[in-house]
Amino acid sequence: MLRVTNIDVAYKDVQVLWDISFEVNQGEFVALLGANGAGKTTTLNAISGLLKVKKGAIEFLGKDITQLPGYKIAELGIIHVPEGRRLFPEMTVRENLEMGSLFPEAKAKRKETMKKIFEQFPILEEKQNKEAGTLSGGQQQMLALGRGLMALPKLLILDEPSLGLAPVLVTQIFDNIKEINNEGVTVLQVEQNVVQTLKMCHRAYVLENGKIYTQGTGEELLNDEHIKEAYLGI
Amino acid sequence: MEDAWIKFGQTVICGILLGGMYSLIAIGMTLIMGVMKIINLAHGALVMVGMYVTYICSTNYGIDPYIGMFIAMPVLFLLGCLIQKYMINRLVEVDSILPENQVLLTVGIMLVLTEGIRLFFKSDYRSVVTSYSSNTVFLGDMSISVPLVIGFIIAMTFTFLLHMFLTKTDLGKSIRATSQDRDAAVFMGVNSSKITMITFGLGAALAAAGGSLLLPLFYLFPDVGHLFTAKSFIITILGGLGSTWGAAIGGLVIGLSESLGATYISMGYKDVVGLVMFILVLLFLPGGIRSLVKR
Repeated sequence: MLRVTNIDVAYKDVQVLWDISFEVNQGEFVALLGANGAGKTTTLNAISGLLKVKKGAIEFLGKDITQLPGYKIAELGIIHVPEGRRLFPEMTVRENLEMGSLFPEAKAKRKETMKKIFEQFPILEEKQNKEAGTLSGGQQQMLALGRGLMALPKLLILDEPSLGLAPVLVTQIFDNIKEINNEGVTVLQVEQNVVQTLKMCHRAYVLENGKIYTQGTGEELLNDEHIKEAYLGI
Repeated sequence: MEDAWIKFGQTVICGILLGGMYSLIAIGMTLIMGVMKIINLAHGALVMVGMYVTYICSTNYGIDPYIGMFIAMPVLFLLGCLIQKYMINRLVEVDSILPENQVLLTVGIMLVLTEGIRLFFKSDYRSVVTSYSSNTVFLGDMSISVPLVIGFIIAMTFTFLLHMFLTKTDLGKSIRATSQDRDAAVFMGVNSSKITMITFGLGAALAAAGGSLLLPLFYLFPDVGHLFTAKSFIITILGGLGSTWGAAIGGLVIGLSESLGATYISMGYKDVVGLVMFILVLLFLPGGIRSLVKR
């Protein structure tokens, strides 16, 4: 579904990604793991068109999207839920959700999708007329997920959905994500919360210093000696 | 004693009516500020160009200024879109040019517009005379000029329509979303460069509307724009940068204080009142009116 081939990405003169390649298949839940500064967010920003790729190619559903502007990539069905939620703080919960469904297809089903999202996250329905900036961290993450789902994404890109949340909320958000994936949405997720992510994803890639260090299924990586030492502290 | 109250009431009402039209111009500036994060110092010049369009319609074709504004608005919308797309946007695309320096370009645009107009119309003071220009309505013993009343009503109608546009339509919501978080808006599929262009056009059209409404009340000359840039800048700061409601209220406050200053201090010092308020706001309420409303 998504194929990233040998991409290099640089911020001005400073190169941060070297020769990154990976793919995500239809229906899969793939995680991108790594320490702070490994290049995870940069990889996601390159996919969704926020950053220009210096070398290499990104393909989505057989179409080359390397040079497309960000809004066109979103129109193709790649929806990026960015790190730190990045809601529209002075718009209401409902308006934030509406902003997720701008394209004709999603707009036609706006009411229907919103109803479904309210069923999954009842708190959002309760607070639908409150400004997004007034929500708690967990509620904001739910809204960010909901806003992404409003677009009826084919591929949902999640950047650190557990960031800044209490452990009990992390488990809840991860359950929500698993549920979204089970309903057929392909998920590409970046996480620092390595153990929990490896337990629920199908496959994972590990990034180190801007390069793919290793890859495998969740279980394989959980038993990998280097992973254990570097990320699990065992 | 009676007379003093009449004088006061008349001053307050005239100030608020005038302020309504200032609001419209300042809302245009604050919209552009919100989306582009720069103060458009060519804003007053756009007001001035809009006034000349309405002026030409009126003197050459006999079109009433309140109808002429509906010609000036689309003309300025187009001009604003072109300026954003082909001039300002070229600087936005260069990473090494800071937003602070994009402001310098708007100063250049302001100069070109002002001198361009001077080339065609000279520096002469002009005014539009309509059948109702000097008419007044009486409210008790207070007399209020008709163009002030009509101008205020139209300005408030536009402000209301703009509010509906920004809160009820997808395009309007996209403008607000882009000003709150540009990257997140792009992730949701907003074409941010198109939105930026439209916003600049919209800001210019509002400037033209405000200018046309003020045409029966002000003398028109190429440098009149500086006055409006200064006023809308003060109002934008007073309202809180990027806040449309703040700008609407800020406009009324500035109109009112100018009017009070003109009546009770001296006509010549009326602009000083606005500037003093500007300094006081920067010193004691740097977030503007918007920061008062927030929790």
